[in-house]
Amino acid sequence: MLGELVAGSVGGLVLIQDSAACEGHSLLKTFVAASARRGESVHVFGFEIPEEEFQAGLDPHVTAQLLYQDGFIDPLRWTGQAGGFGVEEFSGRGVAGCLTRGSAGPGTIVLDSLSWILLHQPLPAVCQTLEQIPRVAADAGWHVTRIVALLHGDLHPSGLLEMLRSLAQAVVVVRPAPEAVGSTGDAPRQASLLLHKGKRKVLKKEEYFTILAGFTLKTLGEPARGALPDEDAEPCSVADPAANLTFNLRLSDAERQAREGVPLPFHFSAQKKSSLLQMPAGMGKIYYEPDAADDPDEEDPDDDLDV
Amino acid sequence: MAALATGGATPSDGATSFQRKAPASSRLAAIAGTRPSVRHGQLLISSGLPSLDCVLGGGLAVGTLLLIEEDKYGIYSNLLLKYFLAEGVVCGHNLFVASAKEDPADILKELPSPLFDEVHKHQLDEEETTIKSKWESQEPMKIAWRYQNLPKMEVSPAASARFGHYYDVSKTVSQELFQSIKWHRFFLPEEISLQPNIKTCNMICSYTRLLQAIQRIIYHEGFDGSFPQKKQKNILRIGIQSLGSVLWGDDICGTDNPEDIHSLTKFLYVLRGLLRMSLSACIITVPAHLIQNKAIIERVTNLSDTVVGLESFIGSERETNPLYKDYHGLIHVHQIPRLNSLICDVSGTKDLAFRLKRKLFTIERLHLPPDLSDTVSRSSKQDLAESTKLLSSECGAMAIGKKHLDF
Repeated sequence: MLGELVAGSVGGLVLIQDSAACEGHSLLKTFVAASARRGESVHVFGFEIPEEEFQAGLDPHVTAQLLYQDGFIDPLRWTGQAGGFGVEEFSGRGVAGCLTRGSAGPGTIVLDSLSWILLHQPLPAVCQTLEQIPRVAADAGWHVTRIVALLHGDLHPSGLLEMLRSLAQAVVVVRPAPEAVGSTGDAPRQASLLLHKGKRKVLKKEEYFTILAGFTLKTLGEPARGALPDEDAEPCSVADPAANLTFNLRLSDAERQAREGVPLPFHFSAQKKSSLLQMPAGMGKIYYEPDAADDPDEEDPDDDLDV
Repeated sequence: MAALATGGATPSDGATSFQRKAPASSRLAAIAGTRPSVRHGQLLISSGLPSLDCVLGGGLAVGTLLLIEEDKYGIYSNLLLKYFLAEGVVCGHNLFVASAKEDPADILKELPSPLFDEVHKHQLDEEETTIKSKWESQEPMKIAWRYQNLPKMEVSPAASARFGHYYDVSKTVSQELFQSIKWHRFFLPEEISLQPNIKTCNMICSYTRLLQAIQRIIYHEGFDGSFPQKKQKNILRIGIQSLGSVLWGDDICGTDNPEDIHSLTKFLYVLRGLLRMSLSACIITVPAHLIQNKAIIERVTNLSDTVVGLESFIGSERETNPLYKDYHGLIHVHQIPRLNSLICDVSGTKDLAFRLKRKLFTIERLHLPPDLSDTVSRSSKQDLAESTKLLSSECGAMAIGKKHLDF
């Protein structure tokens, strides 16, 4: 499923959440490379690493299609020079203004990283911007299909992470895979995927993956169901209280048959049951047939009200 | 109208069997899609989901606020919002839709299409016959014979006294129905781009704007009683999506100590004032699971009239639990208003679950599935016991952690 995600099956906000234990930059670059190979224009808003470092390892024809907005050199506009991208400009309009450099076809916006932006702008403003970008861009005539954002999960409180995840269309959480997975030295990682499908479906999945040279993705299958840490395994060591009993708790088949053969003292035949459930015949019954003089109006039995 | 009003008091509700003849020309009942409550005389409208109406004591009183705590992915809360709006479309009420995320026009486009009675009855019958045939194919269930003359329990609490409509979620409402009604939109990004920032009454500007928009409509369209409506009286249904989420510019989600801790409560306070003096009812969905500060949720609950929480099973371990296999989530009724009385209409059971079938969304009583086989493995029985314990919080005092000696 991660493969489909990289291949562009999902539009909207795609969040890649990594941590110090497992970096997500290479996965982000995989998304970039895949988008560029599809011929989309890719706008990278980089704040964390310089342009050369971001482009390292990518194919030359991929880098040719990258439109890098450099927020690394002077993010806070201290030098006063033009060019580059200040963090202040990260708003719906500001981002849409940068799109003019690209072609009019479908475009991908890459944020490297969202964590850095969140450190410099208030949370509501950032989230509103994320929602606005496709809309403002559409008004200006640009088509933004997806926003891929890298988020360092261990830098933010869990409440904030939950909130960002609720905004995203797809969330990929990367973490190191257990050692048994994967073959020689391709650094397998585990991805927990959360995907909103349509308006009424949510998919969750775990997958192992690794990233090959040139930033192509290779999935290594899913973790087995039983591989999850089994909590029930522990109490087995506790002594079984049913072990040394002086009586029999379990029945053999023969014993069970014998037990079922015994008629229970309160077991009735169908006949007796129905006779008990029906009214006894000896009891009186009231039959009532209304006659002509009967007054059908209950509320006014003597007809003295003017209704 | 008389039939509607008297239909409310059925013996199963626990009320008496006396039936009061409703006056034929009730002044209040003149508005389409409303009926006076049998218990407290307030004018009620349907929430669009007959089973929810029943849980809430007959319906939503005009002038009150229904708060829905969203489920984790906002799927079912959005559905309830749409039901509420769709009921307004069918009854010809005016609508006001506010959102910060989706365009209100898109929300309205996705309203479920109404199932009119004949069609629905036909479907119900079909369902019933399939169930019956299923029953007949199996051998009759052995139950203690004394119980076999007891009346059958109704699964869905609706049926008896309904005045709402049923909707088919797989289809969207037709455009003809839609054209006859009047609706107003409030889409936050649009409003912000129209005017510069204003901040008044220490409230976040998006809330101020929303209040102003609602107030404008209530005054200008004559929903307040002080300025009598010239034409036929009508109800304004207000639906607000994901209020308090970060897209409204509020930071109560995500942080423990938000800057504007009172913004949402102030908004609700003013909104309630507006609702009380007008012919309107409001439904608000709030992402309560994202609000970190529980004091805010308490305040918000106190400021709304009816509070219903949704808890979907998607992604939780309950999804695979055999106890919940028929349901898609639980519904918790947190608060029901006390209108004209000291007590509220509490429904008989607290364990309610909802399920979304292919077409219908229903709220039902949560039933434990029968434990049919003799050889249920020990572990699964343990699970069931644990989850039933979780289910009824009254049993919370029972010791947990008994692994083998659970008999």
